[in-house]
Amino acid sequence: MPDLKGTMINRRKMLQGMAAAAVAAPLFPGLAQAASNKRKPKRVIFFLQNQGFDPYTAIPKGLKEDCSLKSFEFEEPIKALEPLKDRLHIINGLHGRHTSPSHSAFFGALGGYRGGIGSPPRGATIDHVISQHLPETVLPHLCIGMDSLPNMRSRPTLATLSATGPGKPIFMHSNPQALYQALFGSISTGEVRERYEARSNVLRSVERIAQQNSHGLPADEKERYSSYTDGFRDMNGLRGRLANISDHLKKFAPEYGEKFTNPEFETDWHDSLLDLGISALKSGITNTLTIGSGRGEIFGAWKGLGVDKQGHNLGHMPQPNNEIWVKIRHYNCRMLAKLVKELESMPEGDGTMMDNSLIVYTSNNADKQHTSGANWPFILIGNPAGPLKTGQFTQMAKRPINDLYTTLLHAVGAPADRFNMDKNLAENYSSKVGPIEELLA
Amino acid sequence: MNRFLLFLAAGVLAVQAAPSPSFKRDALPFLEQYCFDCHDAETKKGELALDELTEVTPESFGVWKRVWEQVALKEMPPKKKKNQPDAKERLRLANWIADGLEQAMKEKGGFNTHLLPAKGNYLDHDLLFGELPKNLEPASTPARIWRIHPQEHLVRLNELINKEPEYNPKAPGLRTRGDHISWNNQGEVKVYYGLDRIKGQVGGSAAYAAAITGFSSILNTTGDHGLRSYPILYSVNGAQASQIARHAEDIIRFMAYGPKIEPYQFSGKLPEKYKDVDIRGTVESLFYKEEVMRPLSPVYDLVQAENPSEEKLRAAVDFLFEALTFREPSSKESDVYLKILKDSVADLGLKEGVILGLTPIFLDRDALFRPELAQYGKPGKYGRVMLQGNELALAVNGAFSYLKPDAELKKALKEGRLKTRDDVRREVIRILSDESIRKPRVLQFFHEYFDYDLAGGICKDGKALSKAGGGAKFPNVMFGMTASVDRLVELILQEDKQVLKELLTTDRVILEAGSDSLYFSTRENLKKAPPRDKKDKKKKPTPEELGYVALSKGERINVRIPAVKFTNGRSARTLVRLPKEERRGILTHPSWLVSHSDAMDNHAILRGKWIRERLLGGAVPEVPITVDAQLPDEPKNTLRERMRVTRVAECWRCHRKMDPLGLPFEMYNHLGLRRTTELGKPVDTSGEIIDSGDPSLDGPVKNALEMIDKLAASERVEQVFVRHAFRFWMGRNETLEDAPTLQAAHRAYKENDGSMKALLTSLLTSDAFLYRKVEP
Repeated sequence: MPDLKGTMINRRKMLQGMAAAAVAAPLFPGLAQAASNKRKPKRVIFFLQNQGFDPYTAIPKGLKEDCSLKSFEFEEPIKALEPLKDRLHIINGLHGRHTSPSHSAFFGALGGYRGGIGSPPRGATIDHVISQHLPETVLPHLCIGMDSLPNMRSRPTLATLSATGPGKPIFMHSNPQALYQALFGSISTGEVRERYEARSNVLRSVERIAQQNSHGLPADEKERYSSYTDGFRDMNGLRGRLANISDHLKKFAPEYGEKFTNPEFETDWHDSLLDLGISALKSGITNTLTIGSGRGEIFGAWKGLGVDKQGHNLGHMPQPNNEIWVKIRHYNCRMLAKLVKELESMPEGDGTMMDNSLIVYTSNNADKQHTSGANWPFILIGNPAGPLKTGQFTQMAKRPINDLYTTLLHAVGAPADRFNMDKNLAENYSSKVGPIEELLA
Repeated sequence: MNRFLLFLAAGVLAVQAAPSPSFKRDALPFLEQYCFDCHDAETKKGELALDELTEVTPESFGVWKRVWEQVALKEMPPKKKKNQPDAKERLRLANWIADGLEQAMKEKGGFNTHLLPAKGNYLDHDLLFGELPKNLEPASTPARIWRIHPQEHLVRLNELINKEPEYNPKAPGLRTRGDHISWNNQGEVKVYYGLDRIKGQVGGSAAYAAAITGFSSILNTTGDHGLRSYPILYSVNGAQASQIARHAEDIIRFMAYGPKIEPYQFSGKLPEKYKDVDIRGTVESLFYKEEVMRPLSPVYDLVQAENPSEEKLRAAVDFLFEALTFREPSSKESDVYLKILKDSVADLGLKEGVILGLTPIFLDRDALFRPELAQYGKPGKYGRVMLQGNELALAVNGAFSYLKPDAELKKALKEGRLKTRDDVRREVIRILSDESIRKPRVLQFFHEYFDYDLAGGICKDGKALSKAGGGAKFPNVMFGMTASVDRLVELILQEDKQVLKELLTTDRVILEAGSDSLYFSTRENLKKAPPRDKKDKKKKPTPEELGYVALSKGERINVRIPAVKFTNGRSARTLVRLPKEERRGILTHPSWLVSHSDAMDNHAILRGKWIRERLLGGAVPEVPITVDAQLPDEPKNTLRERMRVTRVAECWRCHRKMDPLGLPFEMYNHLGLRRTTELGKPVDTSGEIIDSGDPSLDGPVKNALEMIDKLAASERVEQVFVRHAFRFWMGRNETLEDAPTLQAAHRAYKENDGSMKALLTSLLTSDAFLYRKVEP
């Protein structure tokens, strides 16, 4: 019924994007399709740091025009990515003027449309659309969000970045304890296991009661109420499917240690969340991971990096040569490098998981907190199906981020003319049909 | 609801049976008569040809939606055209299109824009307040479940874990049981566990803030501005449900066992093991009173027993059910939840089993939604059933309160004295005249109508803040000001005379003289603090030395500040009068002005939009997606000068409805300080009321004060206020069938000297409030 609004109606897509896969679908298509000749992309990871991604922190000094990154040294903030430079692509000069990115474009950052605080998503975001084109998994799209400890505790789920459609946000998980329970509860033993079982029983009862209470509701109300009952059905359904593969999951669960249960800093939970995301990718239960560092908002904290200032003040600081921002960017890059390393450690087909994965790094805030969105830098890592250039710096002239997203669709084998860009508007925003040629090999 | 059919029934067309909507009959004649001249395949003005349109389909969605807006808002045909449709013709086409859009988009994300609060004004004001159409169907509201307001949910949960002070008639205004949960000065709305038992802590106020445990609302509202609580807007999604379950476990644990306290935490002395450890900001750093402060309930009794009897188990279930749903469980409901509790205790033992086993009650439908299903009695001629029994009691109660119905209301229900319209009137009048019954719903209406409560959340650019004269802790001061305006609203409601006019024009303000008076001052009068006397380091400069506004002595008044004590906010403030030539009413209060500003400057467009919608009953079409709406970044030009870009023809058609109404507020800067100059020149505060719908209002105004005076005296403005109250309390937009209700409510308001109580009594005893339309 409704066409908007953040918190409402998210029919059959409830559990934070844990949409259910068809029961008959293979659970691990990624593993099943071992030796196929043509490499197909199998997973994608989006990583968005809030408060902007200043190009000067990313572009090697002296680089102005398109060229190979081979002979250039990486800037300090992204030094950790240097070993990967033959596999990545730094893109500068895209724009997102139409997304209203000052203080965050929210859903608009991955949607390529106007976003704003409290505005519901206007359409599906690129991460979700891509997830629909990848091999099906138990959990087609997992979103995790990193924030200050109190915020992650008091608001363990939040939706600001990804959406399955207009008015249908996907929630990010921020409490690693809860996410661990949800993903790996079925493999625990002893007391934890008992609790998991007891909880499963109670959840089933709740679903039954909720279902009974929908009898006699008027049709429209039933529809609205169904987002509530569906939430339980999906929750229970997912629990069931994960429980069915618990033997397989065992191999990939991260260690449930102090970082999870007794975090000293928010970064302990950030690390735990990343570990869970990596486990979900490696175990094949998901193929799309969206990471929102700062959760798409203007806050966030990095006390664990020795940064005392709260997130919002950081947005008012110019990033180049700012030691706080160098620390945050270092931390991001360490996470990216870890993702790559972990995916490389998993054999897949005639190579590794990383060979079939694409990582997209950017900000939900274009280049800075108070921005018009005239420049929106990106880093792509990986080249799963082979169509993208790598080891490259590209300076774009004015094309919108939507065109990059069209290019990504092309890269995952789902070519489209445009992404969330009305053809009548295309000219205003210098959008063209099809993928961006400069980015293709 | 199909408004098209209702319209037919209203006798506008002489058709009795309700035929299915038809493009040929219902839309084409209008298009032919008023649109094709400029928009057919040949003329194609603005590259728009409408002669290819037929039924509403997902493909033609965009065009039809624009047509809907343009026709409903009288944007098209252009004013210069002589051949204009009348209001009824417009309404008929608009309703046909809206229904068509609803149908066409069912599987494509849906369309409910026309049902949103912001579109309420799309229904022509004069149709509602003019001569009543004949044969109108009697009003009713669809049967529904209404997700409870996030504040109401928080209050329900708070009741389980905290004892709040009862109303004290000797100190009105202080935080009282049943009041809404205020923002703390960090801008968070939170319920905390047992603050009243904490007597001290290691570390300062920041450490305390980090150490105390609480939770914020799990249910959300959307949008920052305007009415936000329509039933159609919300459900509860799976993510929220799992969060509620998580909080429920913490709450039950607290109810059963209280805060987790180590023995040393009663003594106020740290044990040896913490001697060299920094525990600031942790739960271990808090010191507690011995005395148990939390409410002790059957949940507590249950865990005291080693082998609890079935009665004890059931008592806990029934208690929680009523506390969370505001009604007694049926015996079947009681049995179902009892079984879950028993099973869970059997699985996990008493201590943990109680926690898990009671959680499902927090997720009962009626703990999250208020049902108004009217599944009793036989529908009358128009498919209507009057609310009865508990549903009626909860509807009346929920119109005012976040607590469960009081003893009187329950008694009336039990004794069969809550059945008729007169019964409802009696209870409404009783509740309205009893100050000890807190009415956060009424205050919530004024929050949503005025939007004065957003100031603390507006992020200000540091440089812009200091340039405009802002002081330290700006957001905290703004959060505090919201509490002050709340209190002013309550005072005016208590007087209950010309409520709207008084809110718009009062010379009274409540403020915390130390921090707030800066923002009521004049920018040009501010002076740099004189050098401090070195001997007396603590001596602060006086307000006169700083050039602050001169305040009369004022009277002491209490305001509600949050329970958390890490704020330095004080509940005692001062009520003073400001010179009439400087400020007038809430719209000139910094909290409203800042709520309608942005990081760097005033937001004349937003302010103008507010006046257009909330006072004049007009509306502005949505920003076309083709608009790259940005004002130029020109630090040397005033906002008015930069807004020249809105004056180009295609923008001005909409902006003329907003900008000239917002620019008179340029007499204040974006922090709410008065100013006489801007960028070194006298500030231009002129504006104009254009096309208000009341010709006597139209014309230029020299500043905001003159405009406010004009508007406050207008009957139309009063009627628009009534329309908003209707929407808030009915939870839906008005339709033509509601015209009699609206007119009666306005009459009641007017004939009782602008009494909010009379207005509410009228609305809450109307058919629209009492009757639900049920599906056949």
